[in-house]
Amino acid sequence: MAVETLKFLPWIPLLGAVLCAICCTSPALRRLAGAICVLSVASALALALGVYFGPQSQAALSGTTVHALRWIDVHSFSAGFSYYIDGLTMIMLFVVTGIGALIALYATGYMKGDRGYARFFFGVCLFIFAMTTLVMADSLVLLYLGWEGVGLCSYLLIGYYYDKPFAVEAAKKAFIVNRIGDLGFALGIFLTWTTFDTVSLHEAIEKARHILEHGGEITTAMQCIPFLLMAGAFGKSAQFPLYVWLPDAMAGPTPVSALIHAATMVTSGVFMIARLIPIFELSTYALPVVAIIGTFTALLAATIALTNNDLKGVFAYSTVSQLGYMFLGVGVLSTTGGIFHLFTHAFFKALLFLTAGSVMHALAGQLDIRTMGGLRKRMPVTCWLMFAGCLALAGVPPFSGFVSKDMILHDALARGLHGEPLFFVLAIAGLFTALLTAYYTFRLWFRVFMGPERFEMGEEHGHDEHAAHDEHASGGHGPHEMPWWPMNLPLVVLAIGAIAAGILAEYVGGEHGWMHTMIEHSTASVEHEFHGELFGLSLHSVMVVLSLLIAALGIGTAAYLHWLRRDAAGVLEQKFAPLVKLLVNKYYVDELYDLAIVRPLRGCGKFFNLIDDYLIQGFLVQIVGGWGPRLVGYVLKPSQSGRLQSYGVGMAVGVVIVMVILIFKLTGN
Amino acid sequence: MGEPINDVALAHFLLTGGLLFVLGMIGFLIRRNLIIMFLCTELMFQGVAVTLVAFSKFHLDVSGQTFVIFVLTIAAAEAALALGLVVLLFRSKHTLDAEAWGELNG
Amino acid sequence: MPTQSFILPLLVLVPLIAGLVMLLPLPMFNDRRNIFHWALLATLATFALSLKMAFAFDFHGPTFQLRGLTPWVSQFGLQFGWGVDAISLWLILLTTFLMPIVVLSSLTAITERSREYYFWLLLIQAAMTGTFIATDIIFFYICFEFTLVPLYFLIGVFGSGDRLRAAAVFFIYTFTGSMLTFAAVLYVAYHAGWNFDIEAMYGAARSLSGTEQAWVFLALMAGFAVKVPIWPLHTWLPLAHTEAPTAGSVILAGVLLKLGTYGILRFVLPMCPLAVLEYAPCVGIMAVCGIILTALICWVQTDIKRLIAYSSVSHLGFCVLGLFALDRLDIGAHGAVMYMVNHGLSTGALFLCVGMIYERFHTRDMEEMSGLGRSLPVWSSFMVFFVLASVGLPGLNGFVGEFLTLLGAFCSPPEVLGMVYAAVAGLGLIFGAIYLLYMVGRVIFGPTKLPHVHGKLNDLSGREIVVLAPIALACLVLGLAPNLMLDTLDNSVAQLTGPAKSQLPAAVVQKEEGTEAPRHQGTEGLVADAIGGPWSLGASVPWCLCLDPPVPSSEVSR
Repeated sequence: MAVETLKFLPWIPLLGAVLCAICCTSPALRRLAGAICVLSVASALALALGVYFGPQSQAALSGTTVHALRWIDVHSFSAGFSYYIDGLTMIMLFVVTGIGALIALYATGYMKGDRGYARFFFGVCLFIFAMTTLVMADSLVLLYLGWEGVGLCSYLLIGYYYDKPFAVEAAKKAFIVNRIGDLGFALGIFLTWTTFDTVSLHEAIEKARHILEHGGEITTAMQCIPFLLMAGAFGKSAQFPLYVWLPDAMAGPTPVSALIHAATMVTSGVFMIARLIPIFELSTYALPVVAIIGTFTALLAATIALTNNDLKGVFAYSTVSQLGYMFLGVGVLSTTGGIFHLFTHAFFKALLFLTAGSVMHALAGQLDIRTMGGLRKRMPVTCWLMFAGCLALAGVPPFSGFVSKDMILHDALARGLHGEPLFFVLAIAGLFTALLTAYYTFRLWFRVFMGPERFEMGEEHGHDEHAAHDEHASGGHGPHEMPWWPMNLPLVVLAIGAIAAGILAEYVGGEHGWMHTMIEHSTASVEHEFHGELFGLSLHSVMVVLSLLIAALGIGTAAYLHWLRRDAAGVLEQKFAPLVKLLVNKYYVDELYDLAIVRPLRGCGKFFNLIDDYLIQGFLVQIVGGWGPRLVGYVLKPSQSGRLQSYGVGMAVGVVIVMVILIFKLTGN
Repeated sequence: MGEPINDVALAHFLLTGGLLFVLGMIGFLIRRNLIIMFLCTELMFQGVAVTLVAFSKFHLDVSGQTFVIFVLTIAAAEAALALGLVVLLFRSKHTLDAEAWGELNG
Repeated sequence: MPTQSFILPLLVLVPLIAGLVMLLPLPMFNDRRNIFHWALLATLATFALSLKMAFAFDFHGPTFQLRGLTPWVSQFGLQFGWGVDAISLWLILLTTFLMPIVVLSSLTAITERSREYYFWLLLIQAAMTGTFIATDIIFFYICFEFTLVPLYFLIGVFGSGDRLRAAAVFFIYTFTGSMLTFAAVLYVAYHAGWNFDIEAMYGAARSLSGTEQAWVFLALMAGFAVKVPIWPLHTWLPLAHTEAPTAGSVILAGVLLKLGTYGILRFVLPMCPLAVLEYAPCVGIMAVCGIILTALICWVQTDIKRLIAYSSVSHLGFCVLGLFALDRLDIGAHGAVMYMVNHGLSTGALFLCVGMIYERFHTRDMEEMSGLGRSLPVWSSFMVFFVLASVGLPGLNGFVGEFLTLLGAFCSPPEVLGMVYAAVAGLGLIFGAIYLLYMVGRVIFGPTKLPHVHGKLNDLSGREIVVLAPIALACLVLGLAPNLMLDTLDNSVAQLTGPAKSQLPAAVVQKEEGTEAPRHQGTEGLVADAIGGPWSLGASVPWCLCLDPPVPSSEVSR
């Protein structure tokens, strides 16, 4: 298929969204929505694959612009629906539509019987539209459309259970925190326009490249652009200090958490920086700042995940943490590593969330891992699927999470060894985070699936119909395995990805591997190669050994504390009680924000409201404007006595005065 | 229009007009009966009319007399209206005292 | 196309005559439904006429088209002159589009004195359309002022609660402002030799000295700024909105507020370029203050209608910012015109939605209701949609205007506005999301809690869907294809912002150099190409080279 056909790609899910919206209107059509959504996302995937394997794939991979529609044009300012297709776009398209289709398929089972079934799939379709637009956009304004569009879908889907106050709050928080970042992004677009005279992404990149390669004046404005864009990326990808919305976003249905808040949307910040890497290179400080923030967030989120007892919460914080790795990747100019980790992370984190969803589903909404144990017998498939995901997340070689994370840390370390001590520190911090990751991942897995069997059912009534149906099928109470179709089968595909995607993308396809080849010809390509040696071994070998040791240490500790000797964990918890309390309360960041930002702003609102009511309307308008004329009237009122004679006297006196003046004037005296 | 009147004649006319006007004004200011007050205003009116006619004759300009005719017409209409109003006022309070309507002040 | 020039006066006359006919003692007007149908018919006919006008309009032709003239008091040179350019064309379309919807929405809300009610509605439509078609400042001013009378009665008679006070405050506040506007108009007309034609006025006003222009600017702005309203002259608006009937709020937010911004664009910018440059930063600061402060105020409101009323103040701050941006490519002004139409659609629709809730619950207090999404799903979908349009979600109409006005302010020359204004005003994007989502979270989401319901609680009826659906469609179309509108605006906008831009130091320096070099060059050439027309006359006189010069006596007729 020709590259041109890709311009239809985002509109297929949009059509799906429209159809789903129509399905919302009638109960009879409602059950069709799932099929429509899966089909539309799958056909988008098919289209992307068709182009990739088609005769023009070379064009698709080396960067072509496809114009679809005009959108906002004012004189030479032109932002249209034009798409830029290169290797990076194709990778993102595969991730978005591929993982999207699998998750949508899973969701047809997961959401079955829910009263908002059609509404859910409407949101998913709309999300895929916005996300594909985001990754394909050539114009920065179009990218912004996708950017806000995914934010909207995230809002709608987090708030899916809209009668739960917590979900509503979480949805609002997600949208507003994202908006803070988006303001930075919007200002970044403005500055790009005034600086480069274009909002077309590839033109701006070309201009930036030109300056970088041929030398040229780098203005202050140019150095500011990356910092503004960065704000947008940090908001969307939940980095410090804007990460607070993502853990709360788990209030949405689990497939949403998997699709939007793990696999795709939250990675768009990484994608954006990778996409615009030449612009980020314009500033000396931009990328190091990205790397520092990324590493800091990775570490921070990992520590919070250590003590979190919420099944999805742990994964949420681990997502924040893994996103931090990706930012470290692009920050050290290892765009391949960053995007690679994005790619593998999509597989294993989606897998982890969906298996967590299965557990939650089986336990009627129970999320507290302290109430769970030994579920492997009741849910064997889920248990081992999650195990595969955990291995990938923990970075055990040769699972996919290891391969990509290794690439990032390797590049950071290599740069660190080449006389940039900052990156050495970041790499060490990254390795330490890997240890924490291995520990908390397996802590969760051991808690849920190992040890003596125990469970408490939750209180969710959302899936009444479905629960009844399942009870009938399994013929008893208690947790049960999910059906193969449509739920476990997509998970198997994801598990295969989690196990093998890393190795395949690293060593198959092209000289340096598929991933490298794809990135090489995209806007994200950088010309730096990092190699290094440590202790006489090549850095690669050192990393494999280190990763194995770290993973073994983390998993071993987790196994000891949460499987073999659970009482020891309790003792440990007692010993470090203040620290645990700090971590359980997430460093009190939410409270801090509430105290430092939300309350003062609301106070300002109240204050200005009072000013409006009492100073402007009350004093100026009512008193000065209303009472002033009244006062004048009060003074003059007695003259209106109501006696005709006094009026007559007044007139007569007036006439006399006028006459006297006239006489004096006329006679000249 | 014939001959213009001379200065002396004009002075007489003006004196008459002025006298009428002042008489009317004094009447208006000191009497409290509504009908009398109304008549006094008419008196003032006619004083002005006499002055206008006198000047018209003095300057040989018809517009003064035209104006008087115009004013007389208006005055007639106004008299009808005003007397009607006075009758209405009398009906509601059974008195013609102007003070009785002091409550109509602003 | 002189043959088509009858369309414009018809746009005013049809509703006017239809309204007057309604006052005749005809037996058919004794039935409430007949009155309603008559008003609906009249507004729909006007809408059809306005479509005909849009088709008769040549978007590549001269700026003012379909012009016509009829004498009024010819002894004093007073006349009614009419014509449309692209800007007024879109605003007329907005007016005629909203009016049938407003009439349709009033069917169940107004059950008593409906003859009077629809009469005032038709009259206000005539007045609003008149303002937009006027090419003669007296005609404009008469219509501008006349909009007050019908709205005064709509609020005072058909409003709720403290309606008399609201009507009085509204009337006196706006009337006081526009008196000053009238003084400025007379002053300029005096210098134009009592010629009230708009282009004569432009010429006369531009040849005034800097100080005079400053006074004219302030006096003109007094009326328009109250109307917009620009902070801190806005306090009449929440009061009027809260007490007005739904139709009144829709008209007020949808069209009447735009008379202020339209007046600024049509009269203030081209008439006093020197003063505009001098005062633009002040107006910019007021606009930014308005955006931020009123957005914060919105956040603490509990009355939905009051919240939306305050949001109007905040939103129109963007519009004013765009008008005074004066950036090289007129991005800001394009955005501002876009914003006028968009705000009319989305805020009008929000008021309609709130009106529907009020009809059901007889309360607008957010504390009393929650979780309406469950009981009123269709209404909630519409409400969320319009809230998103209002928040400025890309793909819906609000975004285009907001983005362009901010971009305009960002690109604006540092002497006028500049990046800081855009950056601070951008906080409005965040606050806008905060207060609107706060409202949605409070009213639509959350556990279901209903106030006392009068009768059975029904979701939207077919009629109500017909009321909201066209607006939603328009929001979507303008959001996805804003070029329908933006493309048409280039000439008209350039003509209005050109005079002020030609006074910018950069432009003046370029012009001085341009005596040797060819004139059409670089950035300035672009503007000059687009403008060409009458303002270049004014711009070529030498006094424009410095800010407050003595006026050469030969140039100005005193």
